[in-house]
Amino acid sequence: MTPRGVLKRLWALAWARRLDRELEAEIEAHLEMAERDAIERGSSPEDARRRARQSFGGVVQVREEHRDRRSFRWIETLLKDARYGLAALARAPGFTMVVTGVLAIGVGANVAMFSVMDAVLFRPLPFPQPDRIVRVWEAPRPGVVNATSATEFLSWKGLARVFDAMSAETSVSVALANSDEPARFTGKAVTADYFRVFGVEPMLGRTFSADEEKPGGARVIVLSHAAWKDYFAGDAQILRRRVMLDGEPYQVIGVLAPGAFDRDETRFWKPLAFAPDQLAPEIHWLTVYGRLASGVTVSQANDRMQAINAALLPTKPARDREGTVVVARLARLLTGDGLTRSIYVAFGAVVLVLLIACANVVNLLLAKGALRERELAVRAALGANRGRLIAQLLTESMVLCLLGGAAGIGAAGLLIRAARPLLADSLPFTAEVTLDIRVLAFAAAVAFGVGLFAGTLPALRTSFRDLVGSLNGSGRGFSGGHSRTRRAIVVGEVALSMVLICGALLLFRSLLKLQDVDTGVRMENVITMSTDLPERAYPTPEKAAAFYDALAQRLRLAPGVQQAGLATQLPLQWITNGEGLLGPGNENIVRVRFKRVDPGYFRALGIPVLSGRGIQEQDREGSPRVIVINQALAARLMEVAGMKEPVGKLVRVSTPLYLEKKPFTPPVEIVGVIRNERVSWPGDPDPAVVYAALAQAPAPSVKIVVRAATAASTVVPAIREAVREVDPKLPVADVATMDQVRDRMFMGARRPAGLIGAFAIIAGLLTAVGLYGVLAQAVAQRRREIGIRMALGAASSRVLWNVLWNALGLIAAGLGVGLAGAMAGTRVMKSLLFGVSSLDPVAFAAACVSMVTIGILAAFVPASRAAKVDPVVTLRDDG
Amino acid sequence: MSKIQAEIPYGTLDLLILRTLEAMGPLHGYAIARRIEQVSGESLQLSQGSVYPALIRLEQEGWISTEWGTSETNRRVKFYSLTRAGRKQLRVEIEKWEKATALVARFLESA
Repeated sequence: MTPRGVLKRLWALAWARRLDRELEAEIEAHLEMAERDAIERGSSPEDARRRARQSFGGVVQVREEHRDRRSFRWIETLLKDARYGLAALARAPGFTMVVTGVLAIGVGANVAMFSVMDAVLFRPLPFPQPDRIVRVWEAPRPGVVNATSATEFLSWKGLARVFDAMSAETSVSVALANSDEPARFTGKAVTADYFRVFGVEPMLGRTFSADEEKPGGARVIVLSHAAWKDYFAGDAQILRRRVMLDGEPYQVIGVLAPGAFDRDETRFWKPLAFAPDQLAPEIHWLTVYGRLASGVTVSQANDRMQAINAALLPTKPARDREGTVVVARLARLLTGDGLTRSIYVAFGAVVLVLLIACANVVNLLLAKGALRERELAVRAALGANRGRLIAQLLTESMVLCLLGGAAGIGAAGLLIRAARPLLADSLPFTAEVTLDIRVLAFAAAVAFGVGLFAGTLPALRTSFRDLVGSLNGSGRGFSGGHSRTRRAIVVGEVALSMVLICGALLLFRSLLKLQDVDTGVRMENVITMSTDLPERAYPTPEKAAAFYDALAQRLRLAPGVQQAGLATQLPLQWITNGEGLLGPGNENIVRVRFKRVDPGYFRALGIPVLSGRGIQEQDREGSPRVIVINQALAARLMEVAGMKEPVGKLVRVSTPLYLEKKPFTPPVEIVGVIRNERVSWPGDPDPAVVYAALAQAPAPSVKIVVRAATAASTVVPAIREAVREVDPKLPVADVATMDQVRDRMFMGARRPAGLIGAFAIIAGLLTAVGLYGVLAQAVAQRRREIGIRMALGAASSRVLWNVLWNALGLIAAGLGVGLAGAMAGTRVMKSLLFGVSSLDPVAFAAACVSMVTIGILAAFVPASRAAKVDPVVTLRDDG
Repeated sequence: MSKIQAEIPYGTLDLLILRTLEAMGPLHGYAIARRIEQVSGESLQLSQGSVYPALIRLEQEGWISTEWGTSETNRRVKFYSLTRAGRKQLRVEIEKWEKATALVARFLESA
């Protein structure tokens, strides 16, 4: 068929009525002329008409053939069947609604999950040529990555020709004076090439120039689009405005176009210029990104960086000489392995939900098919061939599934909207979860697949029934074949649900185990906040120390406050500062995490001092430097240096200075050992931690930890008041109770558990619906038999038990299959579980119990209906 | 049945119609059917109506064009005429037909 032919045929499809009319006119004219010719040849008018018709042949046949030839007949049939199907569905609104609803749940969950998967895993990052954006790390030891020093960054930038652009950044947090209450405004200090690395363009104004990268350059910032909207009401005159950050005026030089950065917490960017004192090679503080030159692969870049690193080694400080450099694609870093695995597991779970939904639809279609046997038998008797009947049934279920698919897309849209805040927290900022064309295509494919999958079996089974037999029969007949299929399907549903329920219970068990882990701190009534000291108001460590001292004293006087402490990190929060603990002779002993606390911290959190003492008021500027260590470090010192009793020992600890980036390794005395407090995921071992006195090594930002006499939230206003009294310009942010801090740590475990749990509940409900449907139909079909048995003296309790046993048989078969499936399936979750085996017997037993309970509840309604069968009524109705 | 009546070989109705239009110029459906019957000397068992499904296909392929005109009985009917593409197609069909008959003839002779 030529393309022209195809087009013409489609055209003919659209103009079928007109073409039919034209053909009709031609046939009439034809017959008339034939008649006239015959009369001319001497036939009687009657005879002429007969002969004209005879030589023309069958008019109906010509019409049919005309239609077949001129267009795609199957499309015409399909449209007719679809219309018929829609009409049939409209006649059975209850059935239609149930099926559409079941499908909407199955398809909706799948589409929503797919859109997450697509956004996080499949779609390229929302930057131009995203494959060229890489992160460059230092790797002091294999498997460990570290931030970069300014000298190192500048050498890389100067030497690495494999990059089009390379930028360094560090986070900043300032107080924005925009209204009465100072607000915390988070941003980044970046080198001028930053926006070139990401390929992001300003919508208003410009981004940074090389001049602004020099020390003493102008005070300028670039705003994210979201920040411009949220904080400055989208002021069109923003480029003429100066904004006050930490009490200093900054010129806004640009606003970015809307995009991925709007989902990040970075609100603004300012130029990063390296002051001479920030160039110390010992201080690793920068995050480095690069844009690969075109045509350069990541492994080529890696090779080049190794060479550069080797050339730079002799110039590096002694303790950095073993390291290498790692170049890794940004896309891979943003989506960690854990997130990828969680997403795949969750997607597997929704596929199971979809299968269960399909099974339900198959069951409903089979039940409906059984009711329509007589109609189909009549049509078969009138000459419809089996192929046409199957095609029609399939078309009808297709229409149903497309309706379900449309409803599913709606459901997915609602789900995504409802889950947006949750998604924003748990997905990388580059992932934009929307129902775009790819997702819609997926939804259409799923709906179509489900229609084919769910429609085929019922269509075949229904039309393969003995149609004649069904016409002859009373139409009440019990179709054994159907019920066997339907029971098998219910067994399958139970099995699939079991897999999901087992998975969900394993995750919940794991969550409970996680929450049982001793955190090492008392959390009741503890509230936490954070505050940052602006550089201008607090230029020296002495000023900062004085502020912390005043704040701690003032906090302790605040009404409702029992204890108050300050620290650079909250408990349960990872300590990002990594430092070295050196022996008296400057030999490197242990790498440690470094945290600074004030005298109130250990008390406020109930962290016991095991030997020696904690940080005390006397440990201030000018007095001998002291540190407290945790048990883990004490054990490490014992192991590495044979230090049996660390208290009283003198060591050196590399200590970050207040603002300068300069190496500083003072001698310090270990004055105490405390019990470990959790600073990381419960699955990880406790790291070795050094606690320095905040007053002896102040930091420009701290967390406030307050134990209240009663509920933690009641003291928030008093704390804010206390801070305001000490410094009215300081913003207080991140207000959270200790329980919330802990919950945040468990979020990574709670989300999969909640998600899979929700899917398991949906699966259980769908299975219950399926089981109910099969039993209810069986009871309805056996009313007569039950009536006779009861008339013959069977007790109604026996009838009830009979149905329940029936249900239990189905459930038991499903449990067997499901347990086997779960044992195979839960293995993929191993890395998501903590302290629970993926074959945990408790979870599996609980899953069995819940499945049986669900099953019995579903079976109870039809069972009690069977028990209430009135033999007199049943027998009279059927008589 | 005393007289041997030939059925139209499968797929040759198109050829007959195209050839008729080439020889006679624009015709309506009835005239085409009659002409085919006359040329075949009544030895052909043709349902006249079967030209219509063939005509719509030939038109869709662009080998013939239609025009509304008036029949001998004063009715509006479609007149069909050969297009340039149709002329070309006719040559192709004739060549195919000749090849096929020649092949069959050779088989019959050699047997």
